[in-house]
This record gives sequence, C-alpha cells and structure tokens, in this order.
Amino acid sequence: MASIEPFNRLVKLAARAFYDDMTTKGENQTKVGRSDNRGTAVVILDALTRRQWVREEDLAKDLKIHTKQLRRTLRFFEEEKLITRDHRKENSKGAKIYNSAVAAAVDGQRNGREGDDKLKMHTQSYCCLDYSQIYDVVRYRLHRMKKKLKDEMDSKNTVQEYICPSCNKRYTALDALRLISPYDEDFHCESCNGVLVAESDKLAAQEMGDGDDNASRRRHDKLKDMLSKMEEQLKPLTDQLGRVKDLPIPEFGNLQAWEVRANAANRAANGDPNGDSKSLHGFNGTPMPYLGETKVEVAFSGADDKGDVKSVNTSTPMKVLPPWMIREGMNLTKEQRGEAGADPKIDGAAPSASDLLDDKKSAIVNDEEKIFQDEYVKAYYAALLNRQHEQVETVKKEEDFLNTAITNEAYDTSTQRQVGMKFKREDYGSGEDEWEEAPPAGGGSTSEQFKVDLNVEAAASEEEDDEDENDWEDG
Amino acid sequence: MFFHIVLERNMQLHPRHFGRDMKDKLVSKLMKDVEGTCSGRHGFIVAITGVESIGKGLIRDGTGFVTFPVKYQCVVFRPFKGEILEAVVTMVNKMGFFAEAGPVQIFVSNHLIPDDMEFQTGDMPNYTTSDGSVRIQKESEVRLKIIGTRVDATEIFCIGTIKDDFLGVISDPGSTS
Repeated sequence: MASIEPFNRLVKLAARAFYDDMTTKGENQTKVGRSDNRGTAVVILDALTRRQWVREEDLAKDLKIHTKQLRRTLRFFEEEKLITRDHRKENSKGAKIYNSAVAAAVDGQRNGREGDDKLKMHTQSYCCLDYSQIYDVVRYRLHRMKKKLKDEMDSKNTVQEYICPSCNKRYTALDALRLISPYDEDFHCESCNGVLVAESDKLAAQEMGDGDDNASRRRHDKLKDMLSKMEEQLKPLTDQLGRVKDLPIPEFGNLQAWEVRANAANRAANGDPNGDSKSLHGFNGTPMPYLGETKVEVAFSGADDKGDVKSVNTSTPMKVLPPWMIREGMNLTKEQRGEAGADPKIDGAAPSASDLLDDKKSAIVNDEEKIFQDEYVKAYYAALLNRQHEQVETVKKEEDFLNTAITNEAYDTSTQRQVGMKFKREDYGSGEDEWEEAPPAGGGSTSEQFKVDLNVEAAASEEEDDEDENDWEDG
Repeated sequence: MFFHIVLERNMQLHPRHFGRDMKDKLVSKLMKDVEGTCSGRHGFIVAITGVESIGKGLIRDGTGFVTFPVKYQCVVFRPFKGEILEAVVTMVNKMGFFAEAGPVQIFVSNHLIPDDMEFQTGDMPNYTTSDGSVRIQKESEVRLKIIGTRVDATEIFCIGTIKDDFLGVISDPGSTS
C-alpha cells in the first residue's frame, strides 16, 4: 500500500486548520459550560489516522468518549466528505471477521474484542478515512476560501445586492432600471417604496457604513490582510498538499473488500511459504465463517509447519491455518492421540491463544502485554521441553498408529490433548515474532529449540497431514 | 457584440398596398416593424441590410390581409458578459451611474467604480477622483466591462464595471484625457 504517512499528516493538519473549534451541539444540549467539546473532532480524526476501518463502538471505547458524541462527530465528518462509513447488520461472526481483519491490518491497534460474544445481529457502524476524497475536499476548500476573498477584494464578478430595510425584499443591480425613482436619486422598493440600501459585503466590516468610499478602502485593506494571513497560516497545509500531490493515494476500499483483503494479506504473511499453501487451498473451500475462528486453530497450523519441516519461524501460520484446524483437528486427534503428552492446558489454551494472537497483532506492545507474554513464554518453554522428550517417542507411536488404522474413538481424549500440545507450540512460535523485537535473546534461543523439535517431528507430522486431508475429503 | 444574421418574419400587408410597388411597401413596413426591437434570443435588431426572399402570400379569410413569409438579413447587437463596451453616461446618482451603449442600458454600481473616485452631489452629480483629473458625469463616455446581463423576452439590461485596467472615462467634455 502506498505510504500513508504524508496523508495522515495532511489529515492532521486539515483537522487542526478547519475543525479545531468545531463543536457538536446536541439538540437537547442547551446548557453551555458542560458541553464544551471543542477539539474532540481533532482527536477523532487523529485517532482515525492510526486506523483503517474501525468499528465506531471500538473507537468510542478507545477514545473514551460516548458513542453518541462520536457518532455525531462522525456524521459531521461524513457530511464533510472526510470519512466513509458503512453500516451493516451482523452477529458475532461478522464481528470476528472484522476483528481478524483489524488484527491483520493494523499494527498497534488494540481491537476491543471483548464485546464479541454478546453481539446478536446488531447494526454495526464502521468508519474509515477516505484519503482521496480528503485530498480533494481540502483543496476545494482552500480554493473556495481564496476565491471568495479575492472576489470580494477586487469586487470582481460580484453583483451588488440591495435590500429593503422595511420589507426585507432583496434586489440585485440587474433590477436597477426598475428601481430608480424620478424624484430622487435613491433606489426604491417596488412593493413598499422604501429606500433601498446596498447590502454590505458579509465578510468584511459590518461596522463600516456602506456606500462610503473610505469604508470600501478600509474594507479592501482588511480583505488583503485576511488573505495574506490565510495564506501564511495555511502554508503548512498547502505545502503538505503539494507534497502529497504525486503520491499514490492509499485506498482501503469498502468495508467488505477491505476485510477480505486484510485477511488475505494476513494469511499470506502468516501462512507458510510453500508447503502449507496446498493444504490451505484445500481447506479454504470451507465457508468463510470459519475464518473468524481460525485464530484458535493457529496452533494447528503450527503443527503443520513442523510437518513441512520448514524453518522454525513458521510461527506466522496461525491465521492461515484456522480453517483446517477445525476439521483437521479432529483427524489429527484420531491419528495422533497416542503421542500427546497429557497437557491439561490444551483446551483452555485455545481461547487464550486467540487472545494471544490479537496481542501479537497489536504492534505496540504494552508493558502489560509483555509481562503476559513472558509468562506464556516461560510456560511454553517448560512445556516444550517436556514435549521434546515425549515427541520422540510419540512420533514412533504415531507412525504405528497410522499404519495400523486404529479406530478413532478410542483415542479421542488423547488426541485433544495432542492438539493442545501443538497449540502451545504454535502460540509459542507466534509469540516469537513479537518477542524477537522486544527481548531478542529469548526469542533466538527459543527458536532454535523449536527447530530441533520440528525436525524431529517433521517426518511423522507430514504423513499425518496427508492422511488427514485424505480423510476429510472422503468424509 | 454585433452579428449579421438572417431572420424570418411573417409580414401582414394591407390590401391597399397591393400594386406595382408592393414589394417596396413590404420592405419598408418590415423595417418599421423590426428595427429597434429586441429579442432575448438575438438581441437588438439594429438594421436590416437586405431581403433574401419573400414567399408566397396567403390571403386571410375575412380581412383580406395577405401574409408573406419574409427572410431578411439584419445586424443585431447582443451584449455578453465579459464584453468591453463604450457607452455614454445618462444618469449619475449615489448608487452608481447608468450608461447607454446604443440601445442597451448599463448600470454601474458605486462599488464597481474605482475606489479613488468619489461621488459629488450638486447640479451635475458626478464621480471624481480626489485630484479632479477624471470625472464621470452625464454625457461622459466611458469604457466598461459587462459583468452581468439580464435578458428578458423583449429587453436586455446589463450591469458593468469600470474597476479594471483600461476602463473608465475615455473622453470627458470637462477635461482632456
């Protein structure tokens, strides 16, 4: 995507230039004092520059302002053509799709997914900055401002208007012929015969008497002053406009397109380079709704990676894999059940895993999150060691199992555990990416261990995968 | 702006004109009827320069009048926005001044008069610069630019400005300029 920074700067400048003192007054908010919300508009626009499509509820939560207030401001911005909004009815699944998209696309954004579970076909509103339109709108606004001032300054192309003070009827200079009276030199109203007065320019100088030449000269000066001030104060904005002129404008598309793209991109980024893709496609045939749940299954993908004997770093697969996870998980358990060391955590781990993923997504690692992750890391390390020992044995067992086509049911319990094991690894792996940035030393060592582990298991897991696929297709 | 165009008109001729010089009568009636009129579409018809064709006459039942479709060439004058015209001032008051360019009436309001010209009341109301070198009064000739036109079916009215380069008085009876 095109570099978004210059555009964000443009938005910020425009926000400060034009919307700084904007207030949103509710119809019923007549009491003054309390409702001084100037500046909120700027804050909201700034927040939007750090996001792409965002659910308005989440935005409100992040900004800690009331949804109503946010909506009012957003509606205003929509009218100003700065943002695009989208409303749709959705249940928690839709929300999940969105959340995963957010996780994929926006680093550093904490998506409030707490609300997910309670959603029941609510109408959700999303909003997003529309950069191309913003660029045009800002330019047009500047153009209009300048034109208005200049026109008034040289009184060019302006048709003088006259107004009847008594009946408020308005005339233009084009009516002049009908307005002159034979008795004096004033214009007279056609209906009430009152003396018309020229309407003074709205912009400049209500305090100056009209028709006074001196006044018009002063007005001219004032306008000139205003124009130069405007040019000077909006210099940064115009500069930024010029800078942005030749850059490709970032486009997010509409909400659906963006979600699909973000998810796809995420899959591509996280997915295994080669081996996984095949299996991915196979499973992608499954209806999209599973996408949302993919996170949970990330662990599975991790398992796949091992099978592929790809580099340890495959931690990425989390998102990509999910679709398979669900289905494969079943198969795997059947086949693998024997190998799983009893990991009580597994089941519990799955939900937490998804959370973890989200955390990863947010590029900005909060301290809290770090601690959280560190704890996970430790746990994983411990589990990993155990696993390594077990795995060597289990692999052999697995092969045996596969060959002997043992009935699945007997193994169900154990298989789940097995999955859990993999889960852990997955999380661990995925966590690694982030950790590499934050605490490098830990990340490096872990990855190596991981590698060893993977290699050991590799042969076995590959076979497993193949078998799994076959089973599913048959089913 | 002037145009030389061909227009068509149905002329009704009284039976008493039928005779040797019927054609002359027809043309002179056409001139009398048409010259000086104004149509919103074509502007003022200034002069008829020639008759292209006169169609077959049709005798009206009951009256004996004969209707001839006549095609004629004529010069029309149609003011446009942005056009520069020379005009004669006809009236000056504190709201501005009126001028005529041929058949067209033009009003220049006081805020479209250069800021350095001030209105002077008196026997001969006028706009004068502070040093008195330029004066706009009745009968002055000014060059102005049309900034707006109002075109009715039978009338065209313009507003103009002299607040631009090379606009203003071109010959002032009171002073040499």
